[in-house]
Amino acid sequence: MVNAIKGLFISCDIPMAQFIINMNASMPQSQKFIIHILDSTHLFVQPNMAEMIRSAIAEFRDQNSYEKPA
Amino acid sequence: MPLVKIIAKNFMDMVASLTARDLDRLYENPFICEAILRSLPPLAKKYVMQMFYIDGAIPAKMMEEWVLPDGFTKHRVAIDRLVQLRLFSEEKKKETTYRLNSTFQSNLRKHLIYGGALPREPMPSGITARLPTLEDLEAYAIGQWECFLLQLISSTQAERPTNFSSSMMKVFQRGLLSRRDKEAPRLTESGFQFLLMDTNAQLWYIVREYISNSQERGINQADLISFLLELSFHVAGEGRKENWFIPTKLATNLSMSLTDSSARKEGFIVVETNFRMYAYSTSKLHCEILRLFSKVEYQLPNLIVGAITKESLYNAFENGITAEQIISFLQQNAHPRVADRMPSVPENVCDQIRLWESDLNRVEMTPAHYYDEFPSRDVFEAACDYARDQSGLLWEDPKKMRLVVKAEIHMHMREFLRGQNK
Repeated sequence: MVNAIKGLFISCDIPMAQFIINMNASMPQSQKFIIHILDSTHLFVQPNMAEMIRSAIAEFRDQNSYEKPA
Repeated sequence: MPLVKIIAKNFMDMVASLTARDLDRLYENPFICEAILRSLPPLAKKYVMQMFYIDGAIPAKMMEEWVLPDGFTKHRVAIDRLVQLRLFSEEKKKETTYRLNSTFQSNLRKHLIYGGALPREPMPSGITARLPTLEDLEAYAIGQWECFLLQLISSTQAERPTNFSSSMMKVFQRGLLSRRDKEAPRLTESGFQFLLMDTNAQLWYIVREYISNSQERGINQADLISFLLELSFHVAGEGRKENWFIPTKLATNLSMSLTDSSARKEGFIVVETNFRMYAYSTSKLHCEILRLFSKVEYQLPNLIVGAITKESLYNAFENGITAEQIISFLQQNAHPRVADRMPSVPENVCDQIRLWESDLNRVEMTPAHYYDEFPSRDVFEAACDYARDQSGLLWEDPKKMRLVVKAEIHMHMREFLRGQNK
């Protein structure tokens, strides 16, 4: 019988996929959220992780930008 | 200008959605007929003009012969539009024939013969001396419009006494402002986009919202539409005797903008390749609009100097403005000195704005379901095809027989798979 899992499908570029996989690896076992790594640009994760992933990416982006002190 | 066409088309869609009785009443006014003629797609215009003096019905087959085979979709679009507006009435006896709406036809014939001038009562000479000049009118129109738009922006910052009627405020609140309790009303995403639109597009949006609003106030939509369209046919600067109103350029542009052409205003923005922006303008409205997406650094008596920075653009993107809107705003308002240069806004600035926008959207997330452990390859293939038909297939892996499908169609998939099992 076909098995169905509910979750969130993520489609991104390769560096972002690696970033998310890295973030997953650094989480404690009970909080790991990746269900399947589909291929190098697609992931399947647990359903309510959207906000957390988005804020982690935003933080990563801010760390990379330089703002001139006013 | 495609955006104006889209907005005007929406207005026409609204006209087309009036009841049959209202539409027929609308057509009794010759100016409406002309306005609607102007707004038709070019092929439809041609058909109407060809049917002008033909009283009988034309079989559909004959009309199809007028078109080359690769123009057939345009032909269908034109015919559908005409039927929708009840200009063409279909009769299906042995074969479909079309006949032009007779009120429309007679009105346009009269218009053609008599030139379509508005009845003008001669005004007493005492009043004509006091008529404002064209320049005064322009200045007044621009002043009122700016006041109106500033109202929109500054009502988000401070409470200002409103001198616009409550119905206008309702128009704002419908789409453009969102009122939250205890907070000052904030501009919504469409509000920001509205500000960056061209004046004609803004006018049409307001007219359309006002008309849809009027249903709640009990005014007949058809009467309102006919009044507004008739207004737009007056020449700017000429008055009427009784209740005296003198149409300004804003109103007359309404009907002009139904077709593709419209008056171009003077541009005032120069964008340099080092991301600095110089806007030669004295208007507070322009300053506020520029503040939406750039960092305004200096404001001189006739010049606003600013820079387009990542932070300012991120701010704009958060408010719902897209990169395309910002770039088209800059291009449409380019100063005449740079407007002739191709491109009027430097490519590195355009590309960087788009890159910054796409940087915010690196990851796409969709709620979905993951299927695996299919009993056989046939079931897997069938499931893939089914998902593709429902346009819900997100990802598939034929080697390991795994499938990812959008969450919306999960129920259908389950039914389908149950059906497959039997």
